[in-house]
Amino acid sequence: MATPGHVSGQALPNRVIPALGLLALALVWLMELGTIQPNRIVPGTGHGLLSAVGWLGAGLVTGALAGAIVLSFLSLRRRYWLLLGVVGLSLALMPLLLDVFALRHLPENAPYARSSIGAGFWCLLFLLSLMLIEILGRLRAGRSLQLMLLVVIATSWLLLLGAEGLESLSLVREFNARPDQFEQALRTHLALAFGAVAISAVVAFLLALKMIRSPGWQRPILGAVSFLQTIPSLAVFGLLIAPLSALSSAFPALQSLGIRGIGWAPAVLALIAYSLLPMVRNTYVAINGVPEHLVDAGRGMGMTERQLFLQVRLPLALPVIIEGVRITTIQAIGLTAVAALIGAGGFGGFIFQGLGEAAMDLVLLGALPTIGLALLADALLTMLAASLRPTPATT
Amino acid sequence: MRVWLPPFLLILLLCGLSLAMPMLEPVFHWMQPDKQSVIYDRDSFLFLLQNHLMLVGISAAVGTVAAVAGGIIATRRSGRDFLPLISQVASIGQTFPPVAVLALAVPVLGFGEAPILVALILYGLLPILRNTLAGIEGINPAVREAGLGMGMSPLQVLVRVELPLAGRVILAGIRTSVTINIATAAIGSTVGARTLGDPVIAGLVNGNTAYVLQGAILIGLLALTADSLFEALERTWERKVSPTATVA
Repeated sequence: MATPGHVSGQALPNRVIPALGLLALALVWLMELGTIQPNRIVPGTGHGLLSAVGWLGAGLVTGALAGAIVLSFLSLRRRYWLLLGVVGLSLALMPLLLDVFALRHLPENAPYARSSIGAGFWCLLFLLSLMLIEILGRLRAGRSLQLMLLVVIATSWLLLLGAEGLESLSLVREFNARPDQFEQALRTHLALAFGAVAISAVVAFLLALKMIRSPGWQRPILGAVSFLQTIPSLAVFGLLIAPLSALSSAFPALQSLGIRGIGWAPAVLALIAYSLLPMVRNTYVAINGVPEHLVDAGRGMGMTERQLFLQVRLPLALPVIIEGVRITTIQAIGLTAVAALIGAGGFGGFIFQGLGEAAMDLVLLGALPTIGLALLADALLTMLAASLRPTPATT
Repeated sequence: MRVWLPPFLLILLLCGLSLAMPMLEPVFHWMQPDKQSVIYDRDSFLFLLQNHLMLVGISAAVGTVAAVAGGIIATRRSGRDFLPLISQVASIGQTFPPVAVLALAVPVLGFGEAPILVALILYGLLPILRNTLAGIEGINPAVREAGLGMGMSPLQVLVRVELPLAGRVILAGIRTSVTINIATAAIGSTVGARTLGDPVIAGLVNGNTAYVLQGAILIGLLALTADSLFEALERTWERKVSPTATVA
């Protein structure tokens, strides 16, 4: 059925998917899918796949994984699309497993009892995601397909998690206990990370211009910003406390602005310091890397230096500058979580509070959104950079 | 060997300061006159430094072996199928913030040194893996062909041609990995590892700026020392292994 030549690459058996599928099968059967806890702190009793979701659920999970393995061996022309269907649907419906688990095992009339997600579920999620990445790679899927798939899976998760059966899930419980705090943390986290990125973008732009105008500055500026990047975040936060509190006690006006040794002020300063290296380096390389013949062409058309900069150099440099913004943003989102240690707020607050109280679900409530934000920023900025990339006239 | 002078001096400074921190008591007293104790004394600084170094060292060693092995397997003909997935994972994995990875390790593995070590190894693997792939893939195929044409076995081509040529890029990956892990290990003291982050965390909890400063200075120095060591190592590598590729 496969015509030799253009589908031959597709018809070769794929070894990656069976490897991932077998590993997933083994782990999902060997590890605990979920735990039931009588209350927040007491350790719970774990349930394996069969005990957690019964024969039907276990059969469906096994069937989906086995189906994916078998499909990857068949030499069907459309098998990657079929695989995409199987794996995508499994991923989208995964919360149902938790739903069934809670329905089967949660004791009645126990308002503090909660179900939590076990290692088996996380492994299944991870391996299915890897399979999805592999399939999308083989299909050479475009951005739009990837985005659509992501939206479908995310919507399905949100709908299923919002449904009634899952309010016993400990993660949902933790969220429901503090929806306002969560919103506040989200707002603080975004404000800190994006505020720092925005400020450092402006500073980095000026520094990069300085480096281009006077090349003598190149070494000292790059040296200084890479020195800043080397110092661990905890040390930078720590080192900023003493000078900032000295400043604020010397100038009470600063204190009324909220600038103190702890809080948002040292956090933003440290985040800016960290953001400078990727930002300066990328901006400099981007603007400097614009081919000189293109600039000459503009000059020949009678453009002024200002026009040359704004209409030739900057648009051509923009994708690489955005790449710098992407690296910086991801880094800033992660570091903002650490900044919670010096009282800056954000999702890190949940993480460290949870670690302090040994309440693991609170840790998850902080860690998962942080990861989500980083992945989201990565996806959006990659797309932005791709859409700004000029399409070459040749090739 | 002038390149080895800065790391040598920094190592001396780091060890000296870890030993002599209690002697600086008057300075910290002057900074914080209202506190009774101004020198962190729950553990000696030398012990914390040692523990911090051990965590970073083990994770770097295990991570390097695993990542380089993985990179080599994925670039052989028999492992080529896995190459796209592995390189995707290496780049997507790095978007995960290290703190979040550290925090996720605790619910799965519990508190203490072991979960931190696992998190450090897994996270530290990614930059090394990525650079190993980039380094080996970046070699001109003609060079490999030339090696085979000279009658080298595939293993000899790997050991004598590919790895030396990719070495500098791999070394840069290890440097990134160690830099990140020194920072992450410091945060690790919030999940029960005893590292140089301890004085910082203790100081933040008790509002004792002197503790914070002591921890922060030593962590910063440690990071600078490691960085300058790698700088010297990279320079030496450049001169010894690939004398023609002097332009970085």
